[in-house]
Amino acid sequence: MSFYNFVAGPLLWLSFAVFIIGLLVRIVTFVKVSREKDKIIYQHFNWRYVFLTFARWLMPINPTVAKTPAYFLLVYVFHFCLLVVPVFLQGHIILWEESRFGFSWPALPHLLADLMTLVVITIAALFLLRRILSRDLRLLSDFSDYALLVIAGLPFLTGYWVTHGTLDAILSSYSMQIIHTLSGELMLVMIPLSKLSHFVLFFFSRGASAVEFGRRGYSM
Amino acid sequence: MAEETSPKEISPKETSPKVTDSKTINPQEIVDFLKPRVGARFKTWLDICAHCALCADTCHFYNTSGKDPNMIPARKVRFLKEILKKKGKVDKAYLEKVYHTVYHECNMCRRCTLYCPFGIDIALMISLLRATLTSQGMIPEGLRKAIENYKATGNQMAVTKEEWVETIQWCEEEASAELVGLKIPIDKKGAKIMYTVNAREPKFYPQDIMEVAKIFYVAGEDWTLPSESGWDDTNLAMFVGDVKTAKMIVENTFKRADELEVKQVAITE
Repeated sequence: MSFYNFVAGPLLWLSFAVFIIGLLVRIVTFVKVSREKDKIIYQHFNWRYVFLTFARWLMPINPTVAKTPAYFLLVYVFHFCLLVVPVFLQGHIILWEESRFGFSWPALPHLLADLMTLVVITIAALFLLRRILSRDLRLLSDFSDYALLVIAGLPFLTGYWVTHGTLDAILSSYSMQIIHTLSGELMLVMIPLSKLSHFVLFFFSRGASAVEFGRRGYSM
Repeated sequence: MAEETSPKEISPKETSPKVTDSKTINPQEIVDFLKPRVGARFKTWLDICAHCALCADTCHFYNTSGKDPNMIPARKVRFLKEILKKKGKVDKAYLEKVYHTVYHECNMCRRCTLYCPFGIDIALMISLLRATLTSQGMIPEGLRKAIENYKATGNQMAVTKEEWVETIQWCEEEASAELVGLKIPIDKKGAKIMYTVNAREPKFYPQDIMEVAKIFYVAGEDWTLPSESGWDDTNLAMFVGDVKTAKMIVENTFKRADELEVKQVAITE
């Protein structure tokens, strides 16, 4: 087995397993522990407040958007591209088609995918810069805050290099493929293991607070 | 009005309570205290906070301190994360730092939560930190006395039932001199409104009770005051995160409302 086959085979399986099982563990733990120690959520649970809070924050209809519109525009665009590009990229869909699953679905046009990739890289760089330059953010940040921004941006940067052969002069496209796959796997693994777990815990955190504020008559 | 001054009386001039520090810090006690209380929400919040600092300028402490970064709400709860990580192994000096932050740099208004993309409830974590400090005997002196009073007498000023009823009767006498026919109904079953006061009113400001009585009288409202505990609507136990006592205080009021079969409970201004 070549190194690439290992990275794109067993290691990929492992990454997906950590990603999926890790997130399931996060969810099950939240539900299990909260049933015992956060009974208030269940005593006052109301879908109305939970649904409304999701709607307001998944779409830009909330007080923070009004307060910091420029930053939040970047946040929304960043998250949208971050989720859409890896799933709807032609190059990825082909891999799914060729895999044992044989799944297929419509892909993004190349130009749009390129553009969205560059958007993710640019915004990640801006966020990193903001974190380094702002005195407040520097104080709040620990190593993982910087590292995770790099980890989230890296698959897009290396992906762009792979598709465009940017670094062909230095690295073979074979090595670049490996680097890109590894960076994607690193990100998948880090999602359940770090603050990136807000991928699913966002809903639990917002939902719980929406119930808490909702029972006092405030829909957040 | 209460004639005698109780030994536990709190001076209204007491503005900066001092820390009671008779106890030594017990890490195991801190762990045992936090274990049943740190639920799924607290763990999630500490894990997912993106340190984005959007909460910074939602905080009046941040805005009025010349934007001191230590006033960022997300920064203030680092203590909870640290105490959990250190398994309670912290010293007095550390807890004094925590004390300063949770009592003097956050009044648990929850405004930051409304602007946090994850809806992280900073105030709830500050409250838990206050409760943790209480478990180690670190509690503002005034609040400690008030809580002892609540437990012993049901009100924060340790006003006895006799003193309370006498005060109301005296208020009725005084107020009816001005408005003839004015009554302050005590324990009137089936009244529409049960009125509750701040225990400082019978102790220091009975004129407040008289003024309210006048308003109720002129408005022709059907109201009453309960003679048993439950009439003090302040809840200072809440401020030290003493949930048990806080619950008792509220339950007393509900109990009285049920007994008197009132439709509404009104609280003092």
